[in-house]
Amino acid sequence: MRDFNVLKAKIYNKAKEIGIKELEIYYSQGRNLNIKVFEKEIDGYKLAESEGLALRGKYKDEMGYSYTEKVDETSIDFLINNLIENAKNIEREDKEEIFEGVKEYKEVNNFNSSLEKVEEIEKINFIKNLEEEALKIDERIKSIQDCVYGDGFSETIISNTKGLDLQDKSNLAYTYIGVVAKEGEDIQSGFAYKVTNDFSELDYKVIAKEAVEEAISKLGAKSIKSGKYPIIMRNNAAADIIEAFASIFSAERVQKNLSLLNGKLNKKVGSEKLTLVDDPYMKKGYASSAFDSEGVPTVEKNIIENGVLNTYLHNLKTALKDGIESTGNASRSSYKSSIGISPTNMYIKPGNKSLNEIMVEMEEGIMITDVQGLHAGLNPISGDFSLSAQGYKIEKGKIMFPVNQITISGNFLDMMKDIIEIGDDLKFGLPSSAYIGSPSIRIKSLDVAGE
Amino acid sequence: MINKKIIENVIEAALSTGGDFAEIFIEDNKGIGINMISGKTENIMSGRDYGIGIRIFKDFNSVYAYTNKSDESTLIQTAKKASKALLGENIISSSLINNMKIEQNHRIEINPSEISTKKKIKAMRKAYESAKGFDDIISQVTVNYQDYNQKIAIANSEGIYVEDERTRTRLAVGAVATKDGEMQSGSSSPGAQQGFEFIENLDLEWHGKEAARIAKTMVEADYSPSGKMPVIIHNGFGGVIFHEACGHGLEATSVAKKNSVFADKLGEKVASDVVTAVDDGTIPNEWGSSNIDDEGNPTQKNILIENGILKGYMIDKLNGRRMNMKATGSSRRQSYKYPPTSRMTNTFIASGKSNFDEIISSTEKGLFAKYMGGGSVNPATGEFNFAVMEGYLVENGKIIKPVRGATLIGKGINILKKIDMVGDNLSFGQGMCGSSSGSVPVNVGQPTIRVSEITVGGRE
Repeated sequence: MRDFNVLKAKIYNKAKEIGIKELEIYYSQGRNLNIKVFEKEIDGYKLAESEGLALRGKYKDEMGYSYTEKVDETSIDFLINNLIENAKNIEREDKEEIFEGVKEYKEVNNFNSSLEKVEEIEKINFIKNLEEEALKIDERIKSIQDCVYGDGFSETIISNTKGLDLQDKSNLAYTYIGVVAKEGEDIQSGFAYKVTNDFSELDYKVIAKEAVEEAISKLGAKSIKSGKYPIIMRNNAAADIIEAFASIFSAERVQKNLSLLNGKLNKKVGSEKLTLVDDPYMKKGYASSAFDSEGVPTVEKNIIENGVLNTYLHNLKTALKDGIESTGNASRSSYKSSIGISPTNMYIKPGNKSLNEIMVEMEEGIMITDVQGLHAGLNPISGDFSLSAQGYKIEKGKIMFPVNQITISGNFLDMMKDIIEIGDDLKFGLPSSAYIGSPSIRIKSLDVAGE
Repeated sequence: MINKKIIENVIEAALSTGGDFAEIFIEDNKGIGINMISGKTENIMSGRDYGIGIRIFKDFNSVYAYTNKSDESTLIQTAKKASKALLGENIISSSLINNMKIEQNHRIEINPSEISTKKKIKAMRKAYESAKGFDDIISQVTVNYQDYNQKIAIANSEGIYVEDERTRTRLAVGAVATKDGEMQSGSSSPGAQQGFEFIENLDLEWHGKEAARIAKTMVEADYSPSGKMPVIIHNGFGGVIFHEACGHGLEATSVAKKNSVFADKLGEKVASDVVTAVDDGTIPNEWGSSNIDDEGNPTQKNILIENGILKGYMIDKLNGRRMNMKATGSSRRQSYKYPPTSRMTNTFIASGKSNFDEIISSTEKGLFAKYMGGGSVNPATGEFNFAVMEGYLVENGKIIKPVRGATLIGKGINILKKIDMVGDNLSFGQGMCGSSSGSVPVNVGQPTIRVSEITVGGRE
């Protein structure tokens, strides 16, 4: 820490000398561990200690950026020169500002010290048990694709010449397993994961069971006739789709005419049952923080409330352009990226019916349990999607048989309007810069292509 | 890039607990990314990635650690920490590190770091203007430019020390067309292992227009039909079908643990007679090429499938041990943050005998996928999916009308057997492929091919 303060002072001095008026340092460092087990042996083991430092500063009224992973005094000239060259070449009209901070920020704790005390042997034993358990439950499980435990610690500092000086530290553990079931020529895979910062919450029996049941339940899956079908999007699949469309809520995308929500503010964009929440203070929310990447205090809000679009997500630049306050959604996925916009913990507010009740109400249709190809088969500009999918055929309110080799197609906005029911089973995907979740949702219908 | 004596000491420390192989990978990568929206530069980011990765094997087990610090004590500490994951006593000592000279097969004429940012922006604006000016229906255009120079050094306990340098340059144009409140997009994203000469020789206007033309065509198109039908996939980026449907299943990463449908099938017929497929990391200046792979082996031309018979896999050192087969120069990683594993380089279906017109005219009813989007695959089941960026309906041997929103799904091993025509017009497209060792630049490629039956997911 002392070293960092010395380096910071030197960077500030050099920048001042050369005419950079306002300057901000974004520094992050962390530790990561990732262990893979295959046939009871440690098959992969990865240990990392890393850091990176970025500058953001105003030179002749334009914002310039630069970064380095060689964090020492030899990099100062490189950082400053790059910042100036980049600032000189910025042409956009919207101004980016450096924020001086507020007096008080709320308390958010993303760090669990007990996780740092877990012995490595416990972690290794955990995934060895996970692998063994998954192979034991059902003899049709023939191999394990991935059996992984990982954890990490990271610390971020945002500090600028206008007086902002913020620190955030967090840690997290995750585990996942992919299993392969075989019956005759039929091969199906199943996957389960858990994310937490409390090691004691990891239960290998629960995770193994979930992955195995998923794979086994898909055995014998077949395609079905093409047509329009009533759909239940199971919680995990719904969360995946919402995550892939998250950029449509960014004011930046809206202002640049790259969002299908352009011109839809305060208008109805979804069913009355739909409320979409962005909650940076959610308990166990792995994107929780009291401030965003510009140091602006975060706020809880309903992005969509009873089907009406209440707000876009803003940083300082987009808020200034729209003449409003930032919503505290400035985001930097790492020191290598410039300030963008991202949700924090964003989820569809759960209703009060169970998945089973919704299935009974639907009577006939398809429950989608998994979608693939989200980075290609889905267009956040048009809202159109056509995704490879798996699931179950539902008849008379019951699961009849597993379905695969189908695609589901539609448009995101149409789907939001066609929501008939929202379940009580909120589930979150894997955390990245945002942490996104959904309960299972019943949709009037989607186009299904199969046989 | 680091004193050899230090490297020897680090490798020695890495082997202290019984490892039978140790390797150090040093990377220093400087680059710039420029983003332009509405003809104005929006974001410019430049910087330096710098770090060192240490890898240790003991039989089939592997350990990896990385750090950004290059002083001897941090490196030795990192090596020792990593080695603790392996239990045992030192069994081998590292041989003396010898320089291995490699030839630079991918000549760079203009070092992009010597070109001013202004000049790069000027080229971007040219692409922007041609896309924006294509038609009034074009409502937004984005242009992204990227170049980097990656210097690497690899040394290992077998006595190898080798250095390499990779310079890559890429430009991507994205256009959006709006009609009656509906938006559709098109893109063109050429790249190469070249310096700024790549941009100077590139037909910037053509790429701008092409992105705009796709967006306009798609916003005016009806939805694609659904169901099983013959699909003609055009050359160039269309090769993503082989990449997803089969390529990933031929990587040792999934073959070694028998998680691939292609495991144990060498010498067997896996595709129709007209299919020959190759992965070739040596092609001069191509996007997916390099002199050596990321564990120091020279890249090579690997025949994967020859006239329908499975001939080979793409193999890295560690999986080679498991498979008892030699590495094929296929070990790649995004950066020092990843241990390398078997990956594709420039992967393509070789040219056949049919010509394009003949393929279209012999198709009674089906889909012509002129440009593909991306896709993905589950290597365990072989189930793939990918998106068609620009599609057309074919009827009675003629291209009838554009259709949008089509997705192709199926199983790799079935598709390979259903390729019934292969054209004579091989070309490449550039992409980024994400897998366990990160995101790496790859070429996909093929001539125009016809698959007698694929499930098309559309909305009609």
